[in-house]
Amino acid sequence: MDPALIGYAAFASVILLLALRVPIAFVLAGVATIGTFLIFALRTGTFMPERALTPTTSLVFSNSFDLIHSYDLSMIPLFVALGHIAYRAEITTKIYHAARVWLAPVPGGVAMASVVGCGGFSAITGSSIACASTMGRICSPEMLRMGYDSRLATASVAAGGTLGSLIPPSVLFIIYGIFTETSISSLFLAGILPGLLSLLGFVLVIFAWVSRDPSAAPKYAGTITRSEKIEAAIAAWPAALLFVIIVGGIYGGVFTATEAAAVCVTATVAIGFAQRKLTFRGLWNAVRETCMQTTAIFLIAAAAKIFVAFTALTGVAQDVVGAVQAAELSPFLLLAAIAVIYLVLGMFLDPIGIMVLTLPLMVPLIETYGFDLIWFGVVVIKLLEIGLITPPVGLNVFVIAGVVGREVPIDRIFSGILRFLSVDVIVLILIMAFPILSLLIPGSM
Amino acid sequence: MLHRLEKLLLDLAVVAVLGLGLLITAQVAMRTFLNSAVPDAIVMVGELMVAAIVLPLAAVTANRAHIAVEVVSNRLPQRAQDALLVFGTLFGLLALAPLIYSGWREAHEALVEGGYFFGDLNLPRWPGRVIFLFGVTLCWIRLALMLVRDVGRMRRGESIPAAEPVHRVEEV
Amino acid sequence: QSLFVGEAGPNRGARAEALQWFADQAEELTDGDLSLDIQWGGALFKANAAVSGIRDGIADMGTIIAVYFPQEMVAYNIADLPLQNPDAWVGMKATDELMRNSDAIAQNLADQNLVYLGTFTTSAVHVGCKGATIRSVDDISGLKVRGVGAYGDTFREFGANMVPMSIYDAYQALDTGLIDCSQGYSYATAALKQQEVIDSYTLMNWGQVGALGIFANKDVFDGLEPEVQEALLTAGEGMADELGRLITADNEAAIETMREAGVEIIELPDEERQKLVETSTQFIDEWKDRAGQAGLDADALLEEYRGLIDKYTQIRDEEGYPWEDGQG
Ligand code: NA
Ligand code: NA
Repeated sequence: MDPALIGYAAFASVILLLALRVPIAFVLAGVATIGTFLIFALRTGTFMPERALTPTTSLVFSNSFDLIHSYDLSMIPLFVALGHIAYRAEITTKIYHAARVWLAPVPGGVAMASVVGCGGFSAITGSSIACASTMGRICSPEMLRMGYDSRLATASVAAGGTLGSLIPPSVLFIIYGIFTETSISSLFLAGILPGLLSLLGFVLVIFAWVSRDPSAAPKYAGTITRSEKIEAAIAAWPAALLFVIIVGGIYGGVFTATEAAAVCVTATVAIGFAQRKLTFRGLWNAVRETCMQTTAIFLIAAAAKIFVAFTALTGVAQDVVGAVQAAELSPFLLLAAIAVIYLVLGMFLDPIGIMVLTLPLMVPLIETYGFDLIWFGVVVIKLLEIGLITPPVGLNVFVIAGVVGREVPIDRIFSGILRFLSVDVIVLILIMAFPILSLLIPGSM
Repeated sequence: MLHRLEKLLLDLAVVAVLGLGLLITAQVAMRTFLNSAVPDAIVMVGELMVAAIVLPLAAVTANRAHIAVEVVSNRLPQRAQDALLVFGTLFGLLALAPLIYSGWREAHEALVEGGYFFGDLNLPRWPGRVIFLFGVTLCWIRLALMLVRDVGRMRRGESIPAAEPVHRVEEV
Repeated sequence: QSLFVGEAGPNRGARAEALQWFADQAEELTDGDLSLDIQWGGALFKANAAVSGIRDGIADMGTIIAVYFPQEMVAYNIADLPLQNPDAWVGMKATDELMRNSDAIAQNLADQNLVYLGTFTTSAVHVGCKGATIRSVDDISGLKVRGVGAYGDTFREFGANMVPMSIYDAYQALDTGLIDCSQGYSYATAALKQQEVIDSYTLMNWGQVGALGIFANKDVFDGLEPEVQEALLTAGEGMADELGRLITADNEAAIETMREAGVEIIELPDEERQKLVETSTQFIDEWKDRAGQAGLDADALLEEYRGLIDKYTQIRDEEGYPWEDGQG
């Protein structure tokens, strides 16, 4: 049996099983394991299951264990913990109170502030998932508490989190730069305008949403005095201090983004205890919540990693890219085909996995068409970012779902996401149609 | 019994996350102020990550907190929803079994052959692998138990209680 | 017949070209009976899982970087030692001959279900810095450095603060000043775009991390037709000459790229290098202990290896590199 056929059957099975409400992690891990087993068992043409056992189990273990046993990914539980601890130390509530008081005249102002906050946070971490986990924990529960429509409260942050890789620094750009031998600093610069454009798009979505349905973002009841405003701003000082620590520490060369997460957790605990807002029990419970949440997310990420290795074995990527190449499409249709490929893969796989699977095949194709690789990098990263919020496997959406718990079912978050996705598609078309958007800043440096 | 074990493991994961924060902060402090380093910090962070991520698996499972797509199943009658829930549990048992088998092989090998991470301290490889095996196995046992109970409920004509968290973070 | 090859690196750069050359060569030698399907970027397994990945047959063959496997790859680790072995081609030829002809090593690998096919090298270890300049070993003291194996350990002996981090993080860490220097190989330094962030690059000419090669799953290899086995071994043996040419050219181009980017290129003086060599002998002794524990005769291997380095150095000096016109 042709491995590519097993691959396509696996993708179909994933959709079917997800529709049957099987937990996402189980679907990805289970289908990938069975598919891998079949590929190894059928390699010689006859079915030899005894030959498949060792390679299959080894693939399953090394891909899942190595993902978890990771220094770089320690950023995620730590940033999630930061959100939970800051919440219990009343730091997040104070920021939100300040945002609400200051932005009272702007409809949906708090949601917009959250998205802008995501943009700011993404300029720090370089990882979309880290961005969504932290901002999700900080923003969504506060917005829900203010009576925001649950779709708006969750989807805005899931979408905002996707700015993490487009606005520099960005792990995805670094990997792309290494795979294509293009300048990383040029890629970073190229991501700025498209990142800001996406940010602007998200703010406009919120504006349109709240204009049409004012109840989605309840206004602050009562009048606000000037002294109230100043008081609210002053009360938010611990958040400002954390921000200064993160930005100063990373850009000042004191620590890396991963280390920033740990330092901020330590600082938040210290501030919480000093202000007598945080108790030992509160801290413990905050970290318990962190553990429950990150475990659910990492199980999906580990399963997705197994699925990537399985997909590599199937040769589906070569199959599809080969077909596109053979079709000798016009440049316009080629770009459309590439967008479709990345969006479909983005439904199932994680960004790094998609890059590793496709770039070795895609880049030579792009070069024969004479496209600019820096611009193409921005296009690819934007496509991968969109994949983080598309169903059925949208890691950013799962992160937010983990944060808000059963209060907001995942389907409701996805339904809110649809409005942001439509703007994302417009931004994507703009980035594709006007390479100058990406190339202006790196070209002028 | 299983319930108490899950709670214990969750608390051990809490220790691991706090340990991650302290270890990495210490690393930054030693580099900045003493121009030195915590030996083998990267390896220790990896091992703590395994504890932080894998130990709570059973508790997450008991809470039915695994993320799933519910858009189709929500439109079905209760009985069909319950059947899908049981099917999901069954599929989970299938999906995790290879991880347990390979985890056992790896843990066994690391223990018998005494593998270690090359570094300042040559730390052994077995702790992370044993923790991984233990966490996934316990999760599997919890799934099996849920399967038995849920099938029993369906046979008696009862419905499966919707996500009533077994473990609440607030209770100590 | 199609076989999977697992490679942790990207499909660009000298190493990728050499691996691709190996695959093309093997296919050609079998008249197209064999096709090698290379999976780049660690799609099947990461660099630190390569030994089990190949041993267990996730891929039929693949690249192993021995520094990740101090126990499994102890014999191969000899090519990573600071033995005053800075020439890429000489190092590869010596390593390849040792690995190919030693029964003890072949047995040690067979016990792990592995077969040696051929060697790459990363080439000589040098050091790039931002805001600091290494002109003598005294300059090392107090610097924050990302290091490579025994070369990093030796820097620590000279008072450097060794900062562990992945090679992908080094770019930003240099940029922000989190680290002052990063050890690396010229072509990789350029491929990682570090010339955008460093301002000096010191050529140490001290040794290389040479234990980087292609291994096959022994069960799979034993099941191949003898002609196919021969083709793989021949292609593997040819890699040293091919990659030697590529890497020497790439390294020269990389240094030129750095120079154009305004990076100061410094040659470490001989007497300074001698100090590095003396201090690093303790790490050679450490390796001997490990090799001894694995049941290998470390002294004999070391003697043989040094002899091979001398042999190929002599060949190079007398005949030039095999790819140079009008010589050899
Ligand atoms: Na970023
Ligand atoms: Na998706």
